[in-house]
Amino acid sequence: MSKLVLSGDTSGSVTLESPAVSGTTTLTLPTTSGTVLTSASTITPSTGTVTQASLATGVAGTGPAFAAYQSTGVALTAATYTKITFQTEEYDTNSNFASSRFTPTVAGYYQINGAWQFGSGGTVTSCAIYKNGTVYKEGAGTGGTAGYGGTVSSLVYFNGSSDYVELYGYASSAKTPLATINATYFNGALVRGA
Amino acid sequence: MNLYEKIIALYPSLVEQDFRTCIRLQNDADEKGSYIAKWEHPTLPRPTDEQLGAV
Repeated sequence: MSKLVLSGDTSGSVTLESPAVSGTTTLTLPTTSGTVLTSASTITPSTGTVTQASLATGVAGTGPAFAAYQSTGVALTAATYTKITFQTEEYDTNSNFASSRFTPTVAGYYQINGAWQFGSGGTVTSCAIYKNGTVYKEGAGTGGTAGYGGTVSSLVYFNGSSDYVELYGYASSAKTPLATINATYFNGALVRGA
Repeated sequence: MNLYEKIIALYPSLVEQDFRTCIRLQNDADEKGSYIAKWEHPTLPRPTDEQLGAV
């Protein structure tokens, strides 16, 4: 092995050392001033990977995101918080949505949104995010003779393993949601790492 | 007759708002069907399965 020792300005030194290789390897230095990455850098030197925690302000990560909607109407039982089922996915970037349940495998804070609509008949309605099987946040509902439904939106923290959310709807009399992509839906995405 | 209707038959004084506040009926879209997830009514006792079955 060959070594090139550079003495420090006042003391110490920096040693450049070639590894034991049989071929010829060229290391090209950049043409601008800077600092070579080290193991203490926020970028993993061996892979160049930047962790979610090291992203600069204003840079979005590639955390999980999903969107699904009810494509076949499934009735809500009267005066009963009923789990809304979603048969069709628009996207599910990390395969974390299954059985109408979102269980992200990346810990952090997620923006979760949901809504349902029905077509006609006056009733009192609501829409709720259930976390781990119990009500977490409940949104306002509206119900006139022309229909409507309920919406809910909230930030939700997930531990990245067991935490999950589902969407529940409430109607004082039995209603079947409008099964369209724009009327009865459930979506969310990671907005901040743990 | 669904669970809500049975409870109303047992307790006609209940109003719709009670089912969004002190009482919560729930249906998880599974084989279990509707059930009482919460009963915190200040005066009326939670109905028993026998009472509901007899309605």
